[in-house]
Amino acid sequence: MKWIRRSVLATALIAGMAATGAATAQEQPIKFGLLQDFTAVYTFVTGEYNQGQRDYLTLINEEGGIDGHKFEAIVRDTGNQPQRGIEAYNRAKEEGAILFDFLSTPVSRALVDSVLQDAVVMITPVHGRGDASDGETFPYVFPMMATYWSQATVLAKYIEDNGGLEGKKIALVHIDSPFGREPIPVLQDLAAEKKFEFQAFAYPSPGNEQSATWTEVRRYRPDHVLIWGAGGGQPVSVREAIRNGIPAENILSVVWLAETDVANVGSDTMKGVKRFEAVSTGTDSPILQRIKEKVVDKGLGAGDAKNVGTSYYNIGVATMAVAVEAARLGLEAEGAPLTGAKLKAGFEKVTNFDAEGLMPPVTITAQDHQGGGAGRVSQWNGEAWEPVSEWGAAYQDIVTKEIQQGAAAFKQGN
Amino acid sequence: MFYRLAGVHHTRYETARALWPVPADRWQVAIVALLALAAPFFLSSLYLGSYLLPWLIWSAAALSLTLLMGLAGQLHFGFAAVMAIGAYSSIHLARFGVPFELALIGAGLTAAVIGSLFGAAALRVKGLYLVMATLAMQYLVDWVIINVPAISGGAQATLRTPSVSFLFIPLDTLSARYYLALGWVALVAIFFLNVKRTSFGRALVAIRDKDFAAAVIGVDPFRYKLMAFFTSSFMGGVTGAVLAFCYYRAVTPEQFSFNVSIQLVAMVLVGGLGSVIGGFLGAGFVLLVPIILTNLVAGMAAAGWFTVSSNLLAHVPLMIYGALIIGFLLFEPLGLAKIYDNIRKYFLVWPFRHSRS
Amino acid sequence: MAYFAELVVNGALTGLMYSLAALGFVLIYKSAGVPNLAQGAVVMIAGYVVWLLFSLGLSLFLAVILGAAIMFALGLLTERFLLRRMVGQPVIMIVMLTLGLEILLRGIGPGFLGAAPKSLDLGIGLAPIIIGDVFINRAYLVGGVVAVVMIAAALLFFRTRLGTKLRAVSDDHVSSWAVGISVEKAIGISWGLAGISAVAAGVLWGSVQGVDWTLSTLLFPAVAVVILGGIDSIWGVLIGGLLVGILGSVIPGYLDAVVGGGTRDVVTSLIILLTIMIRPYGIFGREDIERI
Repeated sequence: MKWIRRSVLATALIAGMAATGAATAQEQPIKFGLLQDFTAVYTFVTGEYNQGQRDYLTLINEEGGIDGHKFEAIVRDTGNQPQRGIEAYNRAKEEGAILFDFLSTPVSRALVDSVLQDAVVMITPVHGRGDASDGETFPYVFPMMATYWSQATVLAKYIEDNGGLEGKKIALVHIDSPFGREPIPVLQDLAAEKKFEFQAFAYPSPGNEQSATWTEVRRYRPDHVLIWGAGGGQPVSVREAIRNGIPAENILSVVWLAETDVANVGSDTMKGVKRFEAVSTGTDSPILQRIKEKVVDKGLGAGDAKNVGTSYYNIGVATMAVAVEAARLGLEAEGAPLTGAKLKAGFEKVTNFDAEGLMPPVTITAQDHQGGGAGRVSQWNGEAWEPVSEWGAAYQDIVTKEIQQGAAAFKQGN
Repeated sequence: MFYRLAGVHHTRYETARALWPVPADRWQVAIVALLALAAPFFLSSLYLGSYLLPWLIWSAAALSLTLLMGLAGQLHFGFAAVMAIGAYSSIHLARFGVPFELALIGAGLTAAVIGSLFGAAALRVKGLYLVMATLAMQYLVDWVIINVPAISGGAQATLRTPSVSFLFIPLDTLSARYYLALGWVALVAIFFLNVKRTSFGRALVAIRDKDFAAAVIGVDPFRYKLMAFFTSSFMGGVTGAVLAFCYYRAVTPEQFSFNVSIQLVAMVLVGGLGSVIGGFLGAGFVLLVPIILTNLVAGMAAAGWFTVSSNLLAHVPLMIYGALIIGFLLFEPLGLAKIYDNIRKYFLVWPFRHSRS
Repeated sequence: MAYFAELVVNGALTGLMYSLAALGFVLIYKSAGVPNLAQGAVVMIAGYVVWLLFSLGLSLFLAVILGAAIMFALGLLTERFLLRRMVGQPVIMIVMLTLGLEILLRGIGPGFLGAAPKSLDLGIGLAPIIIGDVFINRAYLVGGVVAVVMIAAALLFFRTRLGTKLRAVSDDHVSSWAVGISVEKAIGISWGLAGISAVAAGVLWGSVQGVDWTLSTLLFPAVAVVILGGIDSIWGVLIGGLLVGILGSVIPGYLDAVVGGGTRDVVTSLIILLTIMIRPYGIFGREDIERI
């Protein structure tokens, strides 16, 4: 029975390794739990996004932190599975994390209540439930950038400013999931108000095959098409749209359209396609320059250096920029050590913060956790995403109505 | 030495038929039961709420499924859908004002009725075709839940569980929820241990071994297959409700997706078909190994044991987990329960090497 | 009418592309009786392998040929070291093993080669072929043609000397042994061939949607194809693919607007269910006769 002895030994070894893994930290940095999905549905974004987040925190630490307070990212894979997310959340919370970013709808849905109860901050930048913008119902949840509802209105506003909405036919081609259906109520309200025709077309998840849907879309003869998907479905949508005779200029996308999709569709084909963007792309802004200089060039980067400056990388940087700013304001107002409640107060003090030009100015208040819902439209010009409109929010009255409805439904238990 | 068989003489049929005729086994069960009862007092809320509680609930799910797969031999790749039916019906019932105790039973019954429809396929086919049929039904149930807002809870497709109390104890605290889950899994385990000794259980085993042969000796396969699906789905439905109320407390369709069905099947198989201890061990393995591996690999990387890209780092646990499943099936196809059994047999005759049984 | 015709044509072509993923499943099941639920992940790995070779600077043609050779070898290895040890185990164990393999491959491919979607450009033009008011997707047309060629090649292969041996093995392992056919070798070859068909599926689907883990979700439509066509029939792959594709395109084309949601998965599920309830062995499948 040698194998029993061997397996006992192996178990002891594994237990020993687990013990070393949970080494205790000496001085307490401010901990952020970046518990995201690296292996399942969100793989198209998580890698670059998380790299941006960690690089920004490294930059702040390299620059000496905030009044000497350093930051630490706890990064774990949740595989988009709620039970793994719950474990990762509770463990990170025990290790002292006060801010969480799950970047996964099922995980953040499963943890909204825990976050509210435990008084720690959850950020849901450019994803996550739109009604969480209501700071009074969701005191600890911060979308902090334009939600899907605001993204839809910014895109609609762009159409209105460039040729008008009235009498137009707008098609929404979306993945058949709650995420894909999210903009529908906002666009319906807007259609009634601005007198344009609107119709939604769903394609089945995961979206690798959409030909039947687009056959239908073409017969609808839309003037503009909004594509609302993510990952592998997006290049398929763009290709199908162009194949079905919709000019690239009339295709507008949700925030999830980036460099990988361009490479996939082909840069020339993609020329003219527009998308919503919440954060500017490229390495021009001062923060990105500093990251390059102080983090990437020193070999402290969290990943492949060629990802620096991509759309999702910059979104990651911007999320942490807002979070660090909130931490600074929280520390300033309430003093160390920072807690979830103080960080929340810090978030609600963020005023006109634009991360040195990386993103539109964000003002978060106790009522509005979205921070204004500003964004802009950018267009692929063959080489880069070129902004074609100014930063700004649009039709926030309609968005607010949705937020209130959603928040009321949440109170009732949805 | 550890399992003293000397001096254990059964003089009455009752003692010989007992669940655990060997005193050492009884002691082990008693100790485990005591530890489980005392867990809220010595475990931190992290380990109680994120490890032990889901483990218990998933063990109940695995036991419900192994009744069908292990005892009756009917393969089921859509069990998560059955649990979803239980979870959603319990929440809607509780919101409607039905007392939670009745809502649990209602959840079980709804799941049992719809789950028996899955069984209709089993009356026609078995083996691989049954796998495919149940898989297709999983997709259908998922689609209905997602596309009927009245079920899934509107635009956000999230339903939060109302606060309820079970037998006048409010389920607001973690320990209350833990004890409810513990009570349920204990009930399921005791039921399972005993069902093998009833005519119902023996009929199921007869059908598993060969349904035509079972028909020849007077076991009606039609009736017993449906009964197996009904019982198993009832237990699965209640487990789904317990999962919703005691663990997630907000249900979304993704919590009961096709992947979860696969995980449940993996629990049953890795644990060992038709075994109670296998249900617990398999659930623990499938549920906790990815979590432990993720923490272990991240900890090792943080301690500087190896440096790889974060992308690879995130995928390493997936590889190890897949390799472990393959390894178990290759080297111990009878699952963790068999490994436990080997260890037990080893100690049964210790310090000697060979046992007769 | 043109609407209907377009749905039928594009549906048929996508259906044929599903057949490519299904072909490997059938090849393995036919000879070994193993339902390989990892076939989707094998398609994904094939996509990754070809992408890797292509991005290393090989020409597309060479990358595909070399990729096919690698996947053939991988198929042989999988059979030799995993499946051969499972001979005689109940089907559920084998199903679980292939699912474990799927998890492993889903870790290895994206883990080592990157999880973000990779582009695989085959140089197929984007402009559709327009006949009347019917737009035919060029990429799918290429895919459909490749699928038909592959299926025809598989049919012809089963008429060669080696193919005859494979058919003998699929009829009866023990009798094949008795007449001196190496059953292990035959089964290994069928795994290798499944690897090659995965290359075709991985490359074509990879060019449509990009190479990432979602390629492994092709398993579901592929399963519908094999169930409908018959789990051990090459002709079934062809006809099943066409039917699954057409039904999965035409029905949602008319129903989606009414229901307000994508109904294709429902159609696919119903195809699986109805086939199993009405004619479990599919259109061309061989009916199992069970003995007590």
